[in-house]
Amino acid sequence: MSNAPPVAPSLLGLLFRVKARTILNRLRLTVQEAPVRLTATVFLVAVIWVGLYGMFYLVFEQLRRTPLEATVAIPLVFNFFFAAMLVLLTFSNAVIAYGALFGKEEAAYLLAAPITPLDVVTLKYWETLIMASWALVLLGFPLMLAMADLTAQRVFYVLFLAFFLAFIPIPAALGVLLAWSAARFFPRRLLRPLSVGAGVVLSAALLFGIRALHVGDSATEEWLRSFQSRMAFVQSAFLPNNWVALGIDRAMNEQIAESVLYLGVTAANGLFLTWLVVRVVARRLDTALDRASGSRGSGRRFPSPAAGGLSGLLFFYLPTSLRLVAAKDLRTFFRDPLQWSQLAILFGLLALYLTNMPTLRVQLSGWGWYLVIPFLNLCAVSLILATFTCRFVFPLVSLEGRKLWLVGLLPVPRGDILIAKFAFAMTVTLLVALTTMIVAMVILKLAVVWAAIHVVVTVAICFGLCGFSVGIGARLPMFRESNAARIANGLGGTTNLLASITLVALVLSAVGSATWRARYLPDSAIPDTGSLLLCSAAVVLSFGAGALALTLGRRHFDRVEV
Amino acid sequence: MNPDESVPAIHLTGVRKAYGKKVAVQDLSLAIPRGELFAFLGPNGAGKTTTIKMIVGLLQPQAGELRVCGHQIGANGLAAKAQLAYVPDQPFLYEKLTGREFLYFVAEMYGIPPSRRDQTLALLERKLDITEFVDQLTESYSHGMKQRVVLAAALLHEPTVLVVDEPMVGLDPKTIRTVKNLFVEHARRGGTVFMSTHTLDIAEAVADRIGIIHRGRLIAIGSLGELRAQARREHSLEEIFLQLTEEEHE
Repeated sequence: MSNAPPVAPSLLGLLFRVKARTILNRLRLTVQEAPVRLTATVFLVAVIWVGLYGMFYLVFEQLRRTPLEATVAIPLVFNFFFAAMLVLLTFSNAVIAYGALFGKEEAAYLLAAPITPLDVVTLKYWETLIMASWALVLLGFPLMLAMADLTAQRVFYVLFLAFFLAFIPIPAALGVLLAWSAARFFPRRLLRPLSVGAGVVLSAALLFGIRALHVGDSATEEWLRSFQSRMAFVQSAFLPNNWVALGIDRAMNEQIAESVLYLGVTAANGLFLTWLVVRVVARRLDTALDRASGSRGSGRRFPSPAAGGLSGLLFFYLPTSLRLVAAKDLRTFFRDPLQWSQLAILFGLLALYLTNMPTLRVQLSGWGWYLVIPFLNLCAVSLILATFTCRFVFPLVSLEGRKLWLVGLLPVPRGDILIAKFAFAMTVTLLVALTTMIVAMVILKLAVVWAAIHVVVTVAICFGLCGFSVGIGARLPMFRESNAARIANGLGGTTNLLASITLVALVLSAVGSATWRARYLPDSAIPDTGSLLLCSAAVVLSFGAGALALTLGRRHFDRVEV
Repeated sequence: MNPDESVPAIHLTGVRKAYGKKVAVQDLSLAIPRGELFAFLGPNGAGKTTTIKMIVGLLQPQAGELRVCGHQIGANGLAAKAQLAYVPDQPFLYEKLTGREFLYFVAEMYGIPPSRRDQTLALLERKLDITEFVDQLTESYSHGMKQRVVLAAALLHEPTVLVVDEPMVGLDPKTIRTVKNLFVEHARRGGTVFMSTHTLDIAEAVADRIGIIHRGRLIAIGSLGELRAQARREHSLEEIFLQLTEEEHE
């Protein structure tokens, strides 16, 4: 037995080749099976990218017109950008690394094979780095290119790209170290409260930092001094964000040698940290894996009132049997961190932006800003809602697939179950969307008529998007699939995504046109008949489309066989 | 391969593992020689999977020592792992690889030259009846298809020790028979099979020796005849199993 030849010392090359093969197969499959989705994704990413580039270009151009402010602000913009990225990427890398090292069967499979822990950790480090850093690439490249375009020197393109590549390994290494420490030193039952605590502290720190930017009149010397002293903490010589910001600053001022020196400092530290972390984690991976995978669940007990408590309050208008279904979905929503955290992050960022609105130094009465900013808020809320409903609401019906016999045995018509799912989706989306919109309108002191229009449009968009997701989810389900992400990526999911984007685009076009018309009215606080008609059409369209999708979905769901 | 054939293929001495206050495995000692098909039985939560994960090096014992073919797991883990193959209860496959791509990956991982790989693979394809779907992406496989490909991957490098956790769950009768034959054949060729199972009929039919673990302790070990003697009853393994675990419970 076992004629196995001696095992090669490192199989890293083989592991990378296998990963490359899986990516290639995935890409080939996507091109064959979902070309529309792929095209839509590439198009939307391009739109976001070009939009960001344009925005950054305008900001930098504006700053450069006032040399004094530019001298202070541009290095700070970069310093803050990379400081924020350092923190966000570290956490994002930590979450991904934890899943990759301790949550997936792959790591266990590889560690049970004759592969060294060093190879496994190196592979997972690169996987984590790539998966966590693509957002920085999406956000950062337009920022860098906008700056490079304004400086008009080709060497900047190379330098800026090099700074990015040199910077990314630092948060990746810190993230992997954080994930390993969490697995090694904290029992599972403590991880959830610790993560929530860290999130709260991080949010509070972020809020405090942003608040610190907006104190007093920015036109005075006193403000400038106070501002500089407040910002000193991100400009520490030991922080990588400062090396990158200084490097870019020197490059902008044509001090290329110094810029390259800072690039070298960043790269050297990034490489050394990576080398150190990968080795430390690999050396003690067995004990961390042992603690992370040792216990079965947290053992935490969840009180489960059938449909009382919060569910009873939120779904009071539903009959008991449907309230039970809605309560089940609500419970699943709160117990799945992926769902609520995504919604919380999206709307948290929006709330952050809203709380800083009062400091906006824009004459709101000029150029129709008074109406344009609330409209932009409506756009942001609508797009976030579309993302949420396509990713989380759409798979709800398909996920019932193998349990349909159970839900189907309830003494209610099967189609009514869709109503319960729709009620759940409407309640969650309306709560967050309306709260955000109302807070924004109060802060902006929007006229009552326009405020009412925006509230009605928000309700209509929620209705339309939830109707699409539940209706199309029931009409084009994937009952045999248990992975929600795959359900959202299937034919039905793609149809729903395109339908949702089209609906949002149509509604926003109508409301946008109404806003545009109102700018030319003597009293823009009161819309004219044309504006009212446009908004009413948008509302009718959204309600009608949602109701139609629900009806079609219900008809199909009543007779579906699993 | 260890030159000393008398060294047990799997050797556990005083192994203990606890999760917090819950003791999963307590003072477990076992010596399984080469060429033996060993069935590891126990009720749910008895410590079977924990023991298996310690044997393959995924969990660390808090006390005691584990050796595979004389190599200590942990200190000389890679040498031990080169001698064994592990099939978990939930088979792992890369979803975006075809079965064949996965099998080639495993072959390369164990340093098997292409000519030997193709020869062994052709044999396993026939035995496990995977030819029809081995070139499809594994994400389209049913549980039984996955299990067959994972078994082919496990046997590809002709391991000395094959560790399998609940291998028969979700398999159709024909595949169960194929898998049973493969295990018996592997043991007859001098390999060792360590199999945890709930399917007592299979253990009764193929195992050379049976170990029963209950609440982390090995409460009985031996051939079916020896277990019957220990239970003082001339009955089926099912009745012996229930009697022993209930006695222990009382």
